[in-house]
Amino acid sequence: MPSFIKAESFKLSKKLKSWLGPLLVMVLVLIAFPLSIDISQYDLDKFYFSIIVVSLLMTAFVATEGMFEEDFEDGSLEQEFLKEKDFYKLVISKIFVYVCFIGMPIAFIGALFSFANGVAIGSFGKVFLLLSLSNLLLFNLFAFGNALSINKGAMLGVLSSLPLALPVIILLGRAIRSIQYGDGFVAVTTLMVGIGLIVSAIMPLIISAALKTHID
Amino acid sequence: MKLFSAQNIAYSINENKLFHNLSFEINSGEGLHIKGGNGSGKSTLLRIILGITSPSKGSIQSYEPDLKISYLGHKNAIKSYLTPNENLELLFNGVELNHAFEWLNKFGLSHVQDELTASLSFGQQKKLALIRVLAQSSDLLVLDEPFVGLDQATADQLNSFLAQKISQGGGLILTSHITPMIDCEVLDLGVKNA
Repeated sequence: MPSFIKAESFKLSKKLKSWLGPLLVMVLVLIAFPLSIDISQYDLDKFYFSIIVVSLLMTAFVATEGMFEEDFEDGSLEQEFLKEKDFYKLVISKIFVYVCFIGMPIAFIGALFSFANGVAIGSFGKVFLLLSLSNLLLFNLFAFGNALSINKGAMLGVLSSLPLALPVIILLGRAIRSIQYGDGFVAVTTLMVGIGLIVSAIMPLIISAALKTHID
Repeated sequence: MKLFSAQNIAYSINENKLFHNLSFEINSGEGLHIKGGNGSGKSTLLRIILGITSPSKGSIQSYEPDLKISYLGHKNAIKSYLTPNENLELLFNGVELNHAFEWLNKFGLSHVQDELTASLSFGQQKKLALIRVLAQSSDLLVLDEPFVGLDQATADQLNSFLAQKISQGGGLILTSHITPMIDCEVLDLGVKNA
């Protein structure tokens, strides 16, 4: 597994567009969205979270767009299948690297921008944790969508997997309310960690099966 | 030593039979040259032997569960946004990486080792893909049209490597329109008519 993570980290670090693009989209949306709507500065701290949910969804969407497509197109998936007979390790490593390289910086940017929008400084850690967990879930779901339609333009599959992101958004909304009103943050975060662990273990199996059908 | 055997395998795409009732064996120290016209199913047969594609009928039996296979398919499995050096470092380490760099010199790619692979010619990319296969220690080489895009000097180097591999007890399966200069069994899939 460490060799997979090392290889995927190296590949992603060389693809500037793949990791820098989503970060720039996140910054752009977080700056442009509050400017484009007429919200009283006194209410911005309340509205900010709905902005961040939309930004998170968009950036996770953009970040996972070409996750498996390149490996499929250049024949790396076939080589991987010959070595490992399935793609579980590859998928789990790829999602891990994407969450670390893209998901967590996005969460950091989101938490950082929350100060500028009136959210209490003491909530930085909570916001960062929630956004990181949400990204973990979203990256798993969109990776599945990507794997589904790898030979038909991966964006189509990511789009079709959008409804799966609704429960994550609902959960994130509940977690955000817990920050705003200081109620039940630990419980909802624990729930997100639990779901994150389950999804991270099961989704790579499903993605692996989807990728196998594409190379057959 | 027997590596693989195929019993009555057939493959069809939408009612069209690519091939049927093919039976053969692959042993160590032997080569198998699969030939046939365009669309006759050579590449599909390779993928069936490797277990990537399932046959419509029949079965492939592997006798060596831990068999190390090196495969070069139609797709090169090299990263266009990396340099040749980075591609090799991504795939190999230790002794295999040294072998890979030796092949890079033998194939005359050392002067482009730090350029992006995307900027290399088709033939240079093919050589890089071949290095991926040749530098690996493997019991069986499976090559799909390995001579396409190669200049004569590189084709000769490849032929002598394959002959050496067979003489050392390795197995070889290849498809090629160009008859290889090595002693191989021939499996002819014929010409696929419309």
